[in-house]
Order: sequence, then C-alpha cells, then structure tokens
Amino acid sequence: MKVKIKSWTAVGTWEWVSNDDTCGICRMSFEACCPDCRTPGDDCPLVWGECTHCFHIHCIVKWLQSSQQQQLCPMCRQEWKFKE
Amino acid sequence: MKELMNLETNPPPGIRIRSEDCDAFNEWLVDLKGAENTLYEGEEFQLLFKFNGRYPFDSPEVTFTGSNIPCHPHIYTNGHICLSILTDDWSPALTVESVCLSIVSMLSSCKEKKSPPDNSLYVMKAGKNPKKTRWWYHDDNV
Repeated sequence: MKVKIKSWTAVGTWEWVSNDDTCGICRMSFEACCPDCRTPGDDCPLVWGECTHCFHIHCIVKWLQSSQQQQLCPMCRQEWKFKE
Repeated sequence: MKELMNLETNPPPGIRIRSEDCDAFNEWLVDLKGAENTLYEGEEFQLLFKFNGRYPFDSPEVTFTGSNIPCHPHIYTNGHICLSILTDDWSPALTVESVCLSIVSMLSSCKEKKSPPDNSLYVMKAGKNPKKTRWWYHDDNV
C-alpha cells in the first residue's frame, strides 16, 4: 500500500538551558517571560554574566540601570560582566 | 504577590506573615520570634515592610513596629534598623524572607542588649522613612 501525505503539521517545543528554574530578580520561571513582557522566548531572552548567574535580560538591565553604585551581580555581588 | 503566597505557605521557623493585615502591594506585617538560645528567646517582634513601585529594584522600607522594639545596638527605639542590605547593599535577589532571616541573625549574634550610642539624638532628628537616613555602616560585629 502506498500512502501519499497531503499535508502535515509539525509541533516543536523549546526551553532555555540554564542552571536554574527561575529568574533571581523577578522570580518568574525562565520559561515564562519577565513581568514587563507578554510572550516568552526570543522577545524576552536570558543572559548570563561571567559569574555564571543568569537572568531575564530585561530584569538585569533594569537593575544595572537603577543601581547607583558599581554594577554588581544580584546573586553573588561580583562585578557584573555580560558573558559573550 | 508570588512572594506573599510563598511566605504564607512555607514560612521559615520563627517568621509569620500577618496576611490579614497585609495590603498585598504596599505594606506587609511580619511577626518575628527571637531565636532560641539567644538574648531574644521568647520575645516577639513585628516588622513593617513598605514597598514602592520599583521593588525589587529598590529596597523596601523595613522598620520594627508595635509595642516591643528589640533593644539592640543597631536598632533605634523608633524602630529604625541600621543594616546595610536595606540601603547601600540591597540586591534585587533579596526577598522579604531573606531580609527577615538577616534581621533574626543580627539579633541572634547580639551579646548585650543595648540601644545604639546615638539613639536619643537620632530618634529626635530622624524622619519617618529610614531610607532617607544617610547610614554609616561601621560595625560588623553584631
């Protein structure tokens, strides 16, 4: 018997690969977005610091902009440097 | 909001959120128990947390309130607390729970119940909001 496929619908899933489940700043799941965003994924990406801690990019940028002193990682207080 | 639910369902020992007195978004009341085998064992205190719209990027305003203000070298009799994480060393990764634990630990390491040396002058001059005080953190022992 020969089957002719007329159409098909593919479904994919995705997840961020990070060493934690939730963002240490907004406490939302990394699979969800930060409180300012509506859709998770590329619109609300994660970033890593050289210290290996990871946050929603919007959360860490908001923190770096609001802190008047040095730019420190909220988790370990090392100087925050974006990991390339 | 998520933090409030979490603290209601899994409070650490000696810490109880008075959710009936909490205005979910602005002010929370938390009961603290002095830890066992410390100078404050058996005592109960109340902390008032006030949040502004920038939390957690800005620290909450945290003061002791109610009839029993702990007598401690870093706690003024008006309830203001000299603790660096509440101003200069605030981090958005801190939570109500971690702030409470820091305060319990600050009480626990106290060796002698004494008010701060500048208490009367400070209480006379300080405003309502401790975050407006220019704190000078110099004593890391208690």
